[in-house]
Amino acid sequence: MATQAAGKTSGKAIARAPRETAHEGFLTHKRSRWLKIALFLSALAIAVYVFTDPQPRPNGGTVAGYTLGTIGTLMIIWLSLIGLRKRIITTKPYSLKGWTSAHVYLGLSLIVIGTLHTGFQLGWNVHTAAYVLMMFVIISGMYGIFVYARLPEQLSANRNEATQPQMLEAIRTLDRQLDTAAQPLGKDEADLVRLSLEQTDIGGNLWQRMTGRQPQCGTARARDAIQELVNQQMRTGKPDQRLTQILFLLERKDAGLAQARRHIRMKTQLEIWLYIHVPATFALLAALIAHILSVFLYW
Amino acid sequence: MSFVVRQIAKRADGGDIIRTRTLDSAEIIVGRGTDCDIQLADLGVMLRHARLLQLSDGTVAIEATGGIPLEIDGKFVNRADLTVSDNPKINIASHRLTLTKGDTPGAIAITAERVVAASDAADAASETGIFSLRETMPSKRSLAWLFAGLVLIIGLALPLFMMGGSVLPAGMVAAAGRPAGASDAGKLQPALGGDEVRKAGYSADMVWSSGPLSTAHAGLSNNCGACHSQPFVSVTDSACISCHKSDATPDHASADRMARGRLPVGGFQADIHKGLNLPEGRCASCHKEHEGPRGALMVAASFCTDCHTGLSGRLTDTKIANVPNWDDHPQFKPTLVSVASLTAPRFERVSLTDKPMERSGLIYPHDIHQSATNGVANMVSKQGLAAGSNGALACNYCHTPDSDGVRFKPIEMEKNCGDCHDLAFARDGGVTRTLPHGKPEQVAGIIRDFYLGQALSPRAGVQRFAFERRAPGRMAELENADLRITSTGEARARGDAAIAQIFGADGKAGGLCSDCHIVNNTGASNAAERFTIAPVTLASHYLPKGQFPHNQHKTYDRKTGDGACVACHKGVMTSKASTDVLLPSITQCRDCHGSTKVATNVPATCNTCHGFHYGEGEQGGDFTASPHRKTPAPAPATVAARALPVRFGSAEQAGAASGGKTGA
Repeated sequence: MATQAAGKTSGKAIARAPRETAHEGFLTHKRSRWLKIALFLSALAIAVYVFTDPQPRPNGGTVAGYTLGTIGTLMIIWLSLIGLRKRIITTKPYSLKGWTSAHVYLGLSLIVIGTLHTGFQLGWNVHTAAYVLMMFVIISGMYGIFVYARLPEQLSANRNEATQPQMLEAIRTLDRQLDTAAQPLGKDEADLVRLSLEQTDIGGNLWQRMTGRQPQCGTARARDAIQELVNQQMRTGKPDQRLTQILFLLERKDAGLAQARRHIRMKTQLEIWLYIHVPATFALLAALIAHILSVFLYW
Repeated sequence: MSFVVRQIAKRADGGDIIRTRTLDSAEIIVGRGTDCDIQLADLGVMLRHARLLQLSDGTVAIEATGGIPLEIDGKFVNRADLTVSDNPKINIASHRLTLTKGDTPGAIAITAERVVAASDAADAASETGIFSLRETMPSKRSLAWLFAGLVLIIGLALPLFMMGGSVLPAGMVAAAGRPAGASDAGKLQPALGGDEVRKAGYSADMVWSSGPLSTAHAGLSNNCGACHSQPFVSVTDSACISCHKSDATPDHASADRMARGRLPVGGFQADIHKGLNLPEGRCASCHKEHEGPRGALMVAASFCTDCHTGLSGRLTDTKIANVPNWDDHPQFKPTLVSVASLTAPRFERVSLTDKPMERSGLIYPHDIHQSATNGVANMVSKQGLAAGSNGALACNYCHTPDSDGVRFKPIEMEKNCGDCHDLAFARDGGVTRTLPHGKPEQVAGIIRDFYLGQALSPRAGVQRFAFERRAPGRMAELENADLRITSTGEARARGDAAIAQIFGADGKAGGLCSDCHIVNNTGASNAAERFTIAPVTLASHYLPKGQFPHNQHKTYDRKTGDGACVACHKGVMTSKASTDVLLPSITQCRDCHGSTKVATNVPATCNTCHGFHYGEGEQGGDFTASPHRKTPAPAPATVAARALPVRFGSAEQAGAASGGKTGA
């Protein structure tokens, strides 16, 4: 009990910085003002949906349907304007943080508004295409929020005070040392070192970036092969000093690569959702044009 | 004999460092090894890669010593003799050796330089290329253009290009021309003209469809222009009517009455409807398409009550009571015979709460005919007539369901009454002589002729049936006495007496006609014209504005057969007069079809009983008030008897004349 109490006290002992200086993320901006607005909007939409009884069934073509659709369309257009807003460096009329906060929460409330607008009537058509694209955008955005909330800390821990150029420089230095160390070696062994020097792609393709795994990386293959050679030599006598030196360098390079690849994996996760979020937004805007125009064309 | 070796190395800033050495030897070794004359620090180079031998002034022999062929001027060789004046180029891994004539005679210059940058993976890509997706993925902008373009092409451009121009499938048009019967209401329609249109297959504007069409319209799925004939104009009634002609799908009422009866739309809503080009009261106002298989037929009850709530306030001359909802549906007002007539029967609608009386002109006590213990039951047993479980006459002996099972065939005397109330009056040898029903003037003549004939030429074996009550055993004696006629005067008197007796006029018991009919004595001297039968008009459809499918109510309240009938038609067992109206009250319906207060498995909507497109004169129409009616006002009557001396048609003919209406 005593230790628990002590633990609690010590937890509180770390004084919080005053509000003015404490970091306030976009999720809690202005005491979550936009979260409350979004919740209110969603509740209002649900209430309208529940308390109106359109005949023969709810869909986008009822009074409530058109109202929700109009609100949703205006919101989508405004939400897509964040791309413009963030290119304008200003604090007025709203800070970018406030704008982002509204973007996130109003975007999430579109799940409710958009879904109720459909009246749960989905099919293989341009209308449902717009809905699906909207959900794609929202879900990719939710993923974005998730990784933004989670990864920067891990990213920083993984970097271990090293900058990106420093990570690269470390690998380059090891490459130069490997090149030098391999000069006296015969062809087969030199070729193994070349495998590491020439067949190592730090980033790799999209999948390798996403997973941070490159089992066929030249450095790993070279390390394994040279390790095998050293092991063989150790069974018969003393291993070639040059080879053990190279093995040591390869292991260090491998560690450097692993760190860089973890870094790349997290950076990729931080970036990849925007490659869905942004193009899907524009596809959604196009689908919205087709959706709205077709409704009135075939009125 | 010497080689001048110029080794070029790149400086970090991009400049060259050239180191020149002169080797006074006719033979030099090239390789990675430290003992080589030309040392190339390149892991692709063998420790001892090649040997150059100066043969003469201007010729050099080169030989690969490391086991890897040399690339000389694009060819791979193990050895070669090179002419220096050709400036041969030897590629060894990342390095290139170029042979040129030296500055001094007999000297050969060899320039060695790295031509491929050192194999350094980290140098191969820029920092952004490695750490961001910029060089791995296509740019967001190009992806955005690509996806948006695809969506616009498939979702807008192609459909715009393909839209318009439609040919109505003939099969569907023909099918739409068939009148929809009352019993079709609410049923799933079959897909029409399917094969014909399916051949047309895909149409780009199908992506604009907001949902599947109703089953009946499914054949138009790839034929958007069939209904959406003009861009930006809501589906017009003319598009509907091009298939659904008004003779098959009559209007509910005339357009102007419908317009007056509708709840007026005003203010903001009217502005929006006008702005969006949505006229009021379109077909599509009720029939919402693209709502799935039942779609167009899912007409909500509220669409009816939209107008029928407070209708009388807007359509002041309407005869129809306001119906705000099922709970407040007015009591039934059956159409009852008020004046029976052969030519112009009159009907009036009387609410069941207003002590309605049916004046059909017929005498028919239901109670006697439903008894299980009286003479009727005895007769049923003897004649082998259809009987209920208790031995009483079955309801459906007279009330025979029609082919739809919704209503009943007309009552016919010969068929429904004649087995007991036969009109046999005499036996002539093996022949039973029968009086014709519905022809009273013939009846009188036949009876008189019978007696006169017997007087002039008496024949044995002729026997007139007596109808009056008499003591048992004396029947034959009386009947024989009746036919012992001695003069024509007596025959005439006997005949007149028989006429009076058979007609049963003046309340005389035992009359054949007066069992069921009101017989009037005109006092005419000619006996053949003395008696008239009051006209009879039987209603064929008490509630013509609705329909009640009797066949769906064969069991009721856990009763079947006649028990189910009288469970609703409660007064039948005790009704002593045909003036009784034995229809169940609307509260009876609510027992099963619920109300807002009673939950039920079979909730009623308007179209449970009513139809919309049955024309003004049919179910649901405002026929009594409409000057615009297209179909004739219903004559819900079957004339079953006529007064003298008008010619009398059969019940079936009368039924046909009144539009095939059947008794309900």
